[in-house]
Amino acid sequence: MTGTVETTYKKRSKRWKLTLTTLVIALFVTVILSLNIGYAPISFSEILAVLGNQIPVLNGGIDPNSFTTINQAIIIDIRLPRILAGVIIGAGLAAAGVLYQGVFKNPMADPYVLGVSAGASLGAGLAIVFGAGLSFVGFPIVPTSAFIAALITIFVVYNISRVGTRVPEMTLLLSGIAITIFLSAVFHLLQVIAPSSQLHALVYWLIGGITNVTWSAWWSIFPFILIGIILSYFFSRDLNMIALGEDTAQHLGVNTERTKKILLALGAMMTAAAVSISGLIGFVGLMIPHITRLIIGPDHRILIPASVIVGAIFLVLCDALARIATGAAELPVGVITAMAGGPFFIFLLRRKKLSYRM
Amino acid sequence: MVTLNVNGVECRYGSAKILSDINLEVKPGDFVGILGPNGSGKSTLLKSISRVLKPHGGSILIDKDDIYALKPIDVAKKMAVVPQDSAVGFNFSVMDVVLMGRNPHLGAFQMESPKDVEVARKAMELTNTWHLAGRSIHELSGGERQRVIIARALAQEPKILLLDEPMSHLDIINQLEVMDLVKSLCIQSGLAVLAVIHDLNMAARYCNAVLMLKNGTIFAAGEVEKILTSENIRSVFSVDALVRKNLVTNSLNIIPLSPKKASTEKKCAIHLICGAGTGTMLMKTLVDEGYSVTAGVLNQLDSDYEACEMLKIPVVSEAPFSAINDETYLANLEMICNASMVVLTSVPFGLGNLRNLDATKEALQRGIPVYVIDEVPIESRDFTGGRATALMRDLKVGGAVFVKHPSDLPSLLNVSKDKLAGLLEHTALTGHVKDG
Repeated sequence: MTGTVETTYKKRSKRWKLTLTTLVIALFVTVILSLNIGYAPISFSEILAVLGNQIPVLNGGIDPNSFTTINQAIIIDIRLPRILAGVIIGAGLAAAGVLYQGVFKNPMADPYVLGVSAGASLGAGLAIVFGAGLSFVGFPIVPTSAFIAALITIFVVYNISRVGTRVPEMTLLLSGIAITIFLSAVFHLLQVIAPSSQLHALVYWLIGGITNVTWSAWWSIFPFILIGIILSYFFSRDLNMIALGEDTAQHLGVNTERTKKILLALGAMMTAAAVSISGLIGFVGLMIPHITRLIIGPDHRILIPASVIVGAIFLVLCDALARIATGAAELPVGVITAMAGGPFFIFLLRRKKLSYRM
Repeated sequence: MVTLNVNGVECRYGSAKILSDINLEVKPGDFVGILGPNGSGKSTLLKSISRVLKPHGGSILIDKDDIYALKPIDVAKKMAVVPQDSAVGFNFSVMDVVLMGRNPHLGAFQMESPKDVEVARKAMELTNTWHLAGRSIHELSGGERQRVIIARALAQEPKILLLDEPMSHLDIINQLEVMDLVKSLCIQSGLAVLAVIHDLNMAARYCNAVLMLKNGTIFAAGEVEKILTSENIRSVFSVDALVRKNLVTNSLNIIPLSPKKASTEKKCAIHLICGAGTGTMLMKTLVDEGYSVTAGVLNQLDSDYEACEMLKIPVVSEAPFSAINDETYLANLEMICNASMVVLTSVPFGLGNLRNLDATKEALQRGIPVYVIDEVPIESRDFTGGRATALMRDLKVGGAVFVKHPSDLPSLLNVSKDKLAGLLEHTALTGHVKDG
């Protein structure tokens, strides 16, 4: 048995690559399938032709008559940005969830519990109500304001809960909850005092999910989430050691305090980027890392990339379901994520309480 | 080969000093124990040395490099720590946990190579945890987990090993195995070990030097045999302890005695006639109960004699392996006459100590109450050809009170002086109780 363990570990890297390849393929399939879903019926062959036509190397071989201009517009300008928004937001929220759960060694930690989501949404809300049309040195105002507010929130929460040079998990979670309640109250105040012209935009954003994401909105958050994921991966082994305890991580050569600060900021950045175009989407940041950990194990070197892809697949599927479920009157994706994810999570938790798999 | 130096370290918590003026050196091959009661600063010191809690003054050097000037990863290449609390946040496998010990030796994106897996396997074989490799760390018992954590520390291939009460979760066989392992690494590979240890006997057995902390300062430091004395143990731990050389392990044996209860009233004086360890427990009990205890005649080196020394009991002593002579006999009799009563334990009698029975008989004749603990029949402990048995019979006839067990005695005596006088009259004993 133990001989097997040794072999298993020596081949671990190969197995992880296989896992990730499988997940990436699953993500592609999910994206293509969900392009097929929507009010206007468009066949798969037409979808593939439209997509192929976008790729410079292939477009010579594609018959321009195999798709209509209208369908091309629906695919490229309406469905694709929305689906890719699902990909990037699902990925970003899942990554932020992994970081916060890892840093605080607590499966309950996530952007929402720590007040980062509330901070980001207040920042976004303030920008929508008071800063419509403005931009901040070239960056669109909503995500920028969300990011600044999220960063301030996590910084405030971190410092309130700090005892000496250390941050005990308990005080951190408690101050996160307190800050969330406070920021939510301010947000409600904002809804009350917002001029009616802006209130519509605010509510639309708040409930909206990813229904009407444009390419420009997508591009405004894509780099932040991509960079956030890549930088997070740099710290994946450090996160493993932090799980053994902060002192132990320090003993094993991790600069614990610095690493924690960087990871908290990266989490804030990805959360703010996601929240700024989708509003609050619950469940993804809390549950996806948890579910992924139950299936592939706790090693962050595989957990981070796998959670990112699982989060992306999950949000795209939930959004597809939102489009099918109620016909033309589409549900916000946040409703679906919570309703689909909750029972699944409870099922996994009950079935795999015991378990460990690498 | 790496040396650890701690120079004048001082730690404060707010304005309260936790540690001050701590100096120590651990060389390759040293096994240094840190001893001290709870709150004496042991853990704080270990935290400072393990680069977790920066001291407010002084410096901690690994081969002349200040550890707080080095990167954590460079410290981790040379020094491993086995903490007291080894709870793990997520459901890692045992192998995962041990492989994390390889972290200081890996590059930023490097995966553990087959060589690292080999190092981990060897560390696990040494700590007897290889069979657990595929299990989840959460499934292990406290002792198994502790051994896994030690394996992780060994997988770091450290030159210095810090242990914070490494045995708190281990059963006796695992304690010995782990300590033997660490000791052998000390001797064979020149590992420098610094360990916080609660068990004084383990410290005595494995350390070649100890330092005793009291209120955040070093109370005593140096070779085990010079530092682990009953005086130092009493000063630092407020506990009386017998310290002896154990001839089997060739290390010191420390036997802590229950903390003294402050006796509220001064009770009467009792003279013990004992020997060969038959009186030790009784002495301790009587002293704790507040009686003034004397004893005699005891041979020096007799364990009861050592107990008297320990408990500061006045004792008439005879040279080792020598029979009681006239001088010591009379000295003993004088002590008996100053006591309110005499207690005779189930000591074996030979020609050397037979005169103690004469003295007991004399006490009875002078009207001093005598209690005889007759746990073991005199016939089986009479090595005088019947003379002791005869004398014992005389005692019975003369009115001595015989009890079956020493524990009967304190309850019998657990009365005030006045009541004791009444009690003695009631049991139809002639005589009186003298002042204690």
